[in-house]
Amino acid sequence: MAVYKRRYNSYLGSLTPTWSRFFVLTKFAFADLFKSRFFVLLLILATVPNLFFAGYIFIANNKTAQLLMQVRGADIFSVETRYFAIILLVQTNIALLLNCWVGPILVSGDLTNGALPLFLSRPFGRADYVLGKLAVLALLLSAVTWVPSLLLFGLQSGLARNGWIWSHLWMVIPIILCSAIWILMLSFISLAVSAWVKLRIVATGVIFVAFFVPLGLGEMFNAIMGTYWGHLLNFPLLFQLILSNGFREQSEPINSIYGRGEVPVAAAWGMMILVCIFSLFILNARLRARETVRG
Amino acid sequence: MMPPTIELDGLEVQLGGRTILHGLTGVLKSRAIGLLGPNGAGKSTLINTLLGFHVPSKGSVRVLGLDSHTDSKALRSLVGYMPENDAFIAKMSGVRFVRYMAEISGLPSEQAMERAHEAFVYVGLGEARYRPVGTYSLGMKQLAKLAQAIAHGPKVLILDEPTNGMDPPARKRLIELIREIREASDICLLLSSHLLRDVEETCDEVLILRNGQIASICNLVEERRANRKFLELETLGAEATFTAALESLGCECAVFSSGRIKVVMPDKVEIREVFKVAADRGVQIRRMNHRRDSLEDIFLSAMEQTGAPDGRL
Repeated sequence: MAVYKRRYNSYLGSLTPTWSRFFVLTKFAFADLFKSRFFVLLLILATVPNLFFAGYIFIANNKTAQLLMQVRGADIFSVETRYFAIILLVQTNIALLLNCWVGPILVSGDLTNGALPLFLSRPFGRADYVLGKLAVLALLLSAVTWVPSLLLFGLQSGLARNGWIWSHLWMVIPIILCSAIWILMLSFISLAVSAWVKLRIVATGVIFVAFFVPLGLGEMFNAIMGTYWGHLLNFPLLFQLILSNGFREQSEPINSIYGRGEVPVAAAWGMMILVCIFSLFILNARLRARETVRG
Repeated sequence: MMPPTIELDGLEVQLGGRTILHGLTGVLKSRAIGLLGPNGAGKSTLINTLLGFHVPSKGSVRVLGLDSHTDSKALRSLVGYMPENDAFIAKMSGVRFVRYMAEISGLPSEQAMERAHEAFVYVGLGEARYRPVGTYSLGMKQLAKLAQAIAHGPKVLILDEPTNGMDPPARKRLIELIREIREASDICLLLSSHLLRDVEETCDEVLILRNGQIASICNLVEERRANRKFLELETLGAEATFTAALESLGCECAVFSSGRIKVVMPDKVEIREVFKVAADRGVQIRRMNHRRDSLEDIFLSAMEQTGAPDGRL
C-alpha cells in the first residue's frame, strides 16, 4: 500500500510478540506526557528534594564541609535508617501528587472518546491495557521513590565507607517493598477512579478525595466508636506503619503525625492489598468495549 | 478449502437480562457480507459478539473457522474494526493515532508508521493527517476510523454503519473505497447498515435481522444474476403477436395496462433478440428496465414475515 500506488494491500511482514504489545501503550503514553511542559516541570520539582537529601549526605560524610558550616557534633548529621525512611516518606508523598496528575491523563483520553473498542478489537486484552497503563505509573513513580532512594543509599555507601553498606544492606528490601506497595496502590486507585469518572479534571479531584475523605471518616469512626480500626481508612498512616516496620524504626517523627499506629502492620498490608483488589474489580467492571444497560 | 466466512450455530446472546439474539443459525460463504436490519434488530450485538465483546449464552459463531469466544484472540488478530460510534483519541494527530493502533495490532514501529501514512493517503485524508483527530469533521472521523481499521492489513474488515453522518459525496467516496478494498485483496468484508443502498453496492450476500432473529439470508450475486433475466418493458403498439413471439423464444410474459409488459428471459436469450422481435413487429420499446429493487423487495418481505423457531422468521 505504498503512497504513490494508492491501492490497498494486505500486510505480510513480521509482527511483534503478543506479550510485548502492552508496552506500546506505555511508549505512547510517555511520549504524550513529555509533550506537556507542566508534567516536565512537575517531574523536575519531584527530583529537587533528592538534591537536598544528597547534599545532606555529602555534608554528613564530609568533615571539612561541616567545619566550613561551623557545625559541631556528628549526631546532627546522622544518615541512618530513620533518614532513609524520611526520604522515602517525602518521595512517596510527591509520588501521590504526581499520580493524581498523570493517572487520569492515561485513561480518560481513551474513555471519553470511546477508543476502548479499538484497543479491544485487536489481539489485545483488558489485562494488556491495564498492564500498559500501569507500567507508565509504575515506571514514573519508581523514578521518584525507590530509584532515587537507592541512588542516595549508594551515595551514602560510597561516602561512608567502613563497611556501612554491609551493615545497612537490608534497607534495600524495605526501600523497594514499601515503595512497591505504595506505587501499586496509587496506580490502581488512579486507574480505577479515572476509568470510573472518565473526565480528567474530575478524576484528579476524586483521587484526592479517595485518599483524604476516608481518612476523615476513619477518624470520625475512631472518635465515635472509641477504637483505632478507623485508621485502616487512613492510607498515608497505613503506609507510615509499613514503612516504620520495614525500617525497624519505632521512633518519632514517622509515627508522630497521627500518633502511634495501633493497627497491626499485617492489617495495614492487608488493607492496601484489598484496595488494589477493589480497584481491579472497578477496572474490570468499567473497562469494557461495550457497556451493557440492565433492564 | 476456505472455511465459511461466518457460521452461526444456534447463537443466543443475552445482555442485561434480555435476550438480544435468539438462536441464530446460518452459514454465510461470500467474501462481502451485508448485515441489514432496522434499528434494534441486533446487528451491532452480532458484531460485538463476533469480536468477542459479548459472550454467547448459547450456541456459537465462527469467523473463518475461528470461534468468537474460544479463539477470540486469534480471531481478533485477523480483524480490522470500524465501530459505529465515535472512537478515537482526540488529542492525537490522525497519523499518530493510526500508527498507535497498528502497533497494538503487532506491526513493528517503522512499518506501523509507514502503513499509517499510506492508509491516511489511501482514504483521502493525506492533507489532514497531522491534525488532531478531535478537530476532524464527522465525515473525516469516519475515514480516520476506516484508516485505523485497514492500516494493519486485516483479513476480515468489519464496518459498523460506516456511512453514518456522511454527506452524499463523502458517502459515495467511502463506498467506492470499500469496493476497492474488497476487489484489491482477498479481504473478507462484513458491513452492517440500515441503508440498503450501502449494502447493495458493496456486498455479495446479506443477512437480514429483525428483532434478534434471522429474517433472511440472501445471496445477492445470484439475485442479480436472476434479475438480469427479468425485464420490465413499456411499449407502444404491442399486440398479442409481440408477446407470442417472445414466448416462442422461451420467455414468460405478463401483460399489464398501458403497454407495460414484464418478461422473464431464459438463459440463452439475449436482450437484442427482444429488440429484434419488437422491430420486426413495429413495436416501440419506450422504456426497458432490469429489476433493480431486489434487495428492497427482499428486505421488505423479510420485515413483513412473522416469527418461526431456530432463529428464523
